[in-house]
Amino acid sequence: MQAIWPLLSFIIQFTMHDRLSFYYFRDSLLHRLNPLTKLALVFGLILVSFISPFYWTPHLLILAGIIPLAFVGKVTREYLNATFRIILPATGFLFIMQSLFQPFEGRELFRVWFLHPTVESTLFAFRNAARVFAMASSFTIFLLTTHPRELMTDLTRRGLPPQIAYVIISTLQILPQMQAKAQTIMAAQRSRGLDTQSSFLRRAGSLVPLVRPLVFGSLVEVEERAIAIEARGFTSTHTKTFLHEIPDTSVDKTIRWFLAALVIIALALRIWLS
Amino acid sequence: MAIVNLQNVTYQYPLTDSPALQNISLQVNEGEFVAVVGPNGAGKSTLCYTLAGFVPHFFKGQLTGTIEVAGIQSHQTSLPEWVLNVGLAFQNPFNQISGAKFTVFEELAFGLENIGVPRDEMKARVEEAMKLTGISDLADRSPYSLSGGQQQRVALTSILVMQPKVLVLDEPTSQMDPIGTREVFGVIREMAERGMTVILVEHKVEWIAQFADRVIALHDGQVLLEGKPGEVLTSDLLAEKGFGLSRYTSVARRAQELGLWTKDTLPVTLDEAVDGFSLTPDPSLRSASQSPTGRGES
Repeated sequence: MQAIWPLLSFIIQFTMHDRLSFYYFRDSLLHRLNPLTKLALVFGLILVSFISPFYWTPHLLILAGIIPLAFVGKVTREYLNATFRIILPATGFLFIMQSLFQPFEGRELFRVWFLHPTVESTLFAFRNAARVFAMASSFTIFLLTTHPRELMTDLTRRGLPPQIAYVIISTLQILPQMQAKAQTIMAAQRSRGLDTQSSFLRRAGSLVPLVRPLVFGSLVEVEERAIAIEARGFTSTHTKTFLHEIPDTSVDKTIRWFLAALVIIALALRIWLS
Repeated sequence: MAIVNLQNVTYQYPLTDSPALQNISLQVNEGEFVAVVGPNGAGKSTLCYTLAGFVPHFFKGQLTGTIEVAGIQSHQTSLPEWVLNVGLAFQNPFNQISGAKFTVFEELAFGLENIGVPRDEMKARVEEAMKLTGISDLADRSPYSLSGGQQQRVALTSILVMQPKVLVLDEPTSQMDPIGTREVFGVIREMAERGMTVILVEHKVEWIAQFADRVIALHDGQVLLEGKPGEVLTSDLLAEKGFGLSRYTSVARRAQELGLWTKDTLPVTLDEAVDGFSLTPDPSLRSASQSPTGRGES
């Protein structure tokens, strides 16, 4: 039990800052783009790398598209940090597993014990790993350069139900609060003699007095928060206005059309060449 | 002219045996500052929810009688329309932070965004409201990084900024120190002077006595007493029913028994108490009780 909260808080503090947001404020071209354009960029890159019939497309996109993007967005250091700690180990693992165990017939590269990767399975794994790498990377850069507030404001302005935007944003905000509350309850129970240091079973049992105040407390909180936002007209039928203006320039629109065209071309080539 | 008009309101929460409010009739005039006092479970918060439209629109259960604000009856309209007229701030400040916003300024603008106030007016209103409640310096902070008292000011401001006709406050100063409480009461008083109608649930009777126009004492979901703060808050009936009254009142009541009290009425605040004490058991020697600063009596 003791290990869970420090571990969780470590993960949160390690990977995120500023209340569960990955965002880093920089003055860059990428930061100034409309959030929807960046979202289109992410999905455009992912779709093209998955759809394109050419073997080297995802690799090329990573080298010529995604890594330069991190540079343009002035988040290279943060991006590389995430790459080496999370993305590369994960895709590396994927590569090894797929090259070893994909049942492709073909020329064996080598044979150790029962492992005998073939050229075909290795090539297959290398492309899949690159696709996943491209996907994770573009999302990382997106999160590093887009404030959740801007994304949600922009999407709400474009017709996303405010309830959905609210759930996403408030989750980002409230999770660290719940974590802090759990720690408070834990400390309170421990000061009243709760056993947190003996055998596993007893420590599992000590979860019970933690769970009840946390769960029931959270239910009460939900009700009060619903009242609070309702008191401020959350479900009002008036057309909403927005405090922050999210720019959407002709450059944004051009980029989005360009990306849509790329995806269509990739799709057409895929159909054409198959 | 009564802006708030409750007629024979009885309300029972779902799955409970007895009504939380029983046959409450209540009129509040425009610009009046009314305080509601009562022991725990007297129905104070339920009254607030009822005034703010959450009974019957949010809490189900049995409601009879009529609730009318500014000529509209609450069951005839929707909650989002109702809250344009009646603003509610309640006790726990943490749960009143919307969670949808990253700074105090955005938090205060949340309500105005919802009801479609244009951007320029929104900014002006938020800035004015922050100045009023003295939180301008918190504008760029995260609402979650604030202390309880500061959060409570933010919660109050987030309702004030919406400029409702009627302001319903359920213990808005519970987490504040005396200085903060005095300032907030000053703000509430000022809003009443400007024509906002205020209905305030509060335990701090000394502040009520100084600022409120009228006091309503609730007990077991019924109106027990109603009248001027000085009369209601010193009544023997409230003392018998276990209301948390001012210590100055209880000291003076004891002094009255000993013949040390010079006035006909009992005090609620320190200043009134200082005014009325006699240092000798003979009530005719009242001049000795004045201290030059108005304080320092023990």
